[in-house]
This record gives sequence, structure tokens and C-alpha cells, in this order.
Amino acid sequence: MTSTVTIQQRQSKVTRWLLIPGIVWMSLFLVVPIAMIVYVSFWTQTTFNISSDPTLASWKQFFTSDTYTGSLWTTIRIWLIVLATTFIVGYPTALFVGLFVKSKTLSTVLLVVCVIPFWTSFLIRVLAWRPMLGKEGAINIVLLHLGIIQQPIEVLLFTELSVIIGMTQIYCVFMVGPIAFMLSRIDRNIIEAARDLGAGFGRIFWKIIFPLSLPGVVVGAIFVSVMVLGEFATSGALSGRKVNLLGNIIVTQVGSLKWAMASVVGVVLTIVMGIVIAGFLRIVDLKREL
Amino acid sequence: MESRIIKPALGVYVALFVLFLYGPFVVLTIISFQQGPDGGPQFPIIEWSTYWYRQIFGLTPPSRIAPLPFGEALIRSLVLALMTMVVSTVLGVMSAQAFRRNFKGSAFVFYLIVLGMMVPGVLTGLGTSLLANNIIGIERHWYTTAFATHVAYTFPFAFLVMLAILNRFDSSVEEAAWSLGVDPWTTFRKVTFPLIFPGVLSAMLFAFTLSLDEFPRTLFASGRDQTLPLAIYGTFSVEIHPNIFAFGVLTTLFSFALLSVYGILMAMSVRRAKKMAMQEDIA
Repeated sequence: MTSTVTIQQRQSKVTRWLLIPGIVWMSLFLVVPIAMIVYVSFWTQTTFNISSDPTLASWKQFFTSDTYTGSLWTTIRIWLIVLATTFIVGYPTALFVGLFVKSKTLSTVLLVVCVIPFWTSFLIRVLAWRPMLGKEGAINIVLLHLGIIQQPIEVLLFTELSVIIGMTQIYCVFMVGPIAFMLSRIDRNIIEAARDLGAGFGRIFWKIIFPLSLPGVVVGAIFVSVMVLGEFATSGALSGRKVNLLGNIIVTQVGSLKWAMASVVGVVLTIVMGIVIAGFLRIVDLKREL
Repeated sequence: MESRIIKPALGVYVALFVLFLYGPFVVLTIISFQQGPDGGPQFPIIEWSTYWYRQIFGLTPPSRIAPLPFGEALIRSLVLALMTMVVSTVLGVMSAQAFRRNFKGSAFVFYLIVLGMMVPGVLTGLGTSLLANNIIGIERHWYTTAFATHVAYTFPFAFLVMLAILNRFDSSVEEAAWSLGVDPWTTFRKVTFPLIFPGVLSAMLFAFTLSLDEFPRTLFASGRDQTLPLAIYGTFSVEIHPNIFAFGVLTTLFSFALLSVYGILMAMSVRRAKKMAMQEDIA
């Protein structure tokens, strides 16, 4: 009896030493930096300098300026739109890959095909949308040749639409993966049983398939949300500086050494993010699903 | 039945989806063969040429368009990715190994680690810069502050990969080693590690590629010397030429080479595991 106790004690000591480096790293380089952002958001900003005298000036400036509050609403609007488009674009693909493809090899091949574009640098993938969407871009050329349009469409590039198209393409795979994974785990016998009982596809889909895929949708939505809310490169490169997300504001503020204002925007972004993730995690237990 | 209509319809949809996914890359590849140095980054292709590829390797006479200043940035990014890969894989294996036993506060530690992949890079980058700049008062460098943020980002991925591998791990082989009097560290080296090696490879691949392409975290945290994504970002603000697209094609090919190495190593370790299993059967 005594020997098992000592083994357990030794093992919990080992566990502790295995965990400490990771915990220390994450605390120092993740938790402390975020706390720093909160702290600095109350600092006093002068033209070229910043001092630690506490003030609410930057916060007041944020909520009284249309530029800043506007970027908050733009961020939320773009996030919701991209969440919807990635879901709409991704779900049918996930349905095909996860449920309709019978061969395991083919579904693996399809998933690999979805992942391959990620091997191109993110920024170059964003940039590649310019010759795609421009007035003399690929889409306009194809549509003109097919006779679908007579005049090139000009709203495709350097608008909010181009940001949405670009983000949808870049992030939709993060929807496809988790949903396809959940769909592939559905017991086919349940679907067979429902069919034997005379249920049509629509009924089977809404009563069985969709509810069972919901954890995948939520996990995908978390991935997409996390990435879209913190975005600034796609909006910067494809909107011609017309779409300013919170991320864009942070970049410009840091660029002009306005650390306090950048921190205020950072705190706002953190709060938005926290609410969104907490909301999603209420629907699904991430640790169990992984 | 209805599925006779639905399945082909979905098949067509997936084909369109793949087209949507690959469209930009196809266009990028086409334009990378634009005539140089006068051809711009748009249609139509004036004349097919490999000018921009030759320019990247310094094989063209000087022209009004300067070659991409990517050489040193590329080396920095590769070194940073290697450093990040080693540290986050070691941290990932250690933490996941600890998670094989239940301990108090495990949910807290789990979320603390996973937080690293949840927090937007622009925030970690900003926070780390504030910390370095205004509190500690050190200069920011790609190998110090940026490195710290990279590990805080890739470590969770390595951790989750190792957690998935160790969840399926049959610990009776370890217990066998212990009961034979082998100490835990030797057991880990000789028994556990070879068995989880495929997972370690995957964790390394994740960490390396994520770090190599990491942009928002590096933007604020890297200081004066640029990494590759920052150098690419620098070209955004000035005029874009097809050389950036040629460079994109080359980096993609490099990624595939990397993936092939990973595939070969994976196949080798699987074959070795099989061989060992067979030898055991004979014995």
C-alpha cells in the first residue's frame, strides 16, 4: 500500500514538472501581454510619447469618434456575413465529403484537395484575388466571353464585396473540415432506419443529419470567427483601405505610435472575441468534441 | 430515390467549390508567366515568359523594377520556424504526456494552452510589443519577442496533435517496461517515443509551417529585421509586379517538397514499426 502511494506521489511530481514549462510560456507570452493591453489602454498618450498616468481619455475618444465605433460595427457586420457565407459555401461540400462519399480514400483525397491551397503563403493568396476580381480580371473576362455580362463589373475589387469574397475563400475550409468530421461519425443505420420508416431526404436531413452535425458547425464557426475578427490583411489589401476593421485600426495606430489607442481597440476586440467564443462554447463542449 | 439526384448535384457543387478554392491560385500561376519587365500583374498576358522567375534568381539584367528583397528575410523565417518547431514540439509532447493522468485544474491548463490558438495574432503581437517596449524596455527582434509569440501560437497545435495520439496510446507496453525495472525516462525514450513518433512528426510539421507563414504576430513583435511574410506585406503598399506571384508559386512548390519529406519520414517510421511488430511475432 505504501509503495503505491509513493509511486502516485512521484507521478504527480512528474506531471507537475511536465506542465510547468508550458504553463509558464503561455502565462508570460500570452496572458501577461493581454493584461498589458488592458493596462496600457488607460495610459496617457501625448503626441510622441506615452506615460503610465491613468486616464480614460483614449476610451472616451474611442466611443465619441465615428471612425472607431464605425470600425467596430464594420467588424461585426463582416464577421457575421463571412460566418454565413463560409457556412453556406462549406456545408454542401462537407455533406458530400462526410456523408455521401462511401469510399474512405476518396473522402481523404477530397479533404487533402481542400487543404492544398494553404500551402501557398497567406498574403500571396490574398493578393491573388486582385487579378481575379479587377475590372480586367479573370472573372470579368470569363463572364464577358460567356456573354453573361456586356460591361465589366466594377464593384468586384476594392469594395466590401471583394473583402467578403476573399475571406470566404480563405476561411471556408475551416468550416468544411469539422462539419465533414461530425457527419462521417453519424451511424448510417439511423439514416437507413428513418428511410425504411418512409422519411424523405428533407425530413432525414432536418431531423437527423443537421442536428448531429451541429457540433461541427460550432467548431467551424469558432475557427472562422477567431480568424475573421482578428483580420486586417485581407481587408487592407482587397478593399483599397475602404473597409477598416478593428485590426486595421490597431495597425494604423501602432504605425503612428499611438499605443494607448491601439490598446483600447485591442481591448474592445478581446471583449468581442470573448463574448463570441463563450457564446459558441455554451452550445458545444470543445474539449469533448476534440 | 432522391439521393440519386442529390448525390450527383452535390458532386457538381463540390467541383465548383474546388474551382472557387483553386481559382486564385490558377490565375496567380498564369500571371507569374507574364512578359517582363514591362508586363503588369493583370490580364491579358502580353507574351509568355519566365522572366519573373529568372529575376528572382538574379538571372536578368537590371531593369526599372527592382528584384524582391526577400533573401535575408527568407533565411530569418526559416531559422525562426525551426526554432519554433523544436520548442513547441517539446512543450507539446511534455504537456500532452502530463495530460495522460488526471490532475486537479486540468480543464484550466487545457484552456490556457488552447487560448494560444484562439487569441488573434494582432493582439498577441500588440501585447508582447507593449510588454517589451514600455515595461521591460528591450528591443524587439524576430528571434526574441516574435519567437515567443510564435511558440505561444504553435504550441497549442502541437499539444492537441500529441493529445490525440496519446489518447489512443496503449500504455500496457510502458507498464511492461516499468515492471521489468526500467526507469521512466528510459522507458519514454526507448518505448513511448518511438511509438508516438508519427504524431511528433505531425506536430513538427504543424509548428514549422504555421510559424513560416505567420504574419499578424510578427508584424508588431519582430522589430527592425523583417521575416518573409513581413517582406511580402511590404510589397503591398508599393506597386505590385508579377514577380510576387512567381515567388508565390515557388514557395508553394517548396511547401510541397516539405510535405514530401514529411510523407517519406512518415512512411519510413510506419514501415519500421511494422518490421518491429513482425520480429516480435517471430520471436
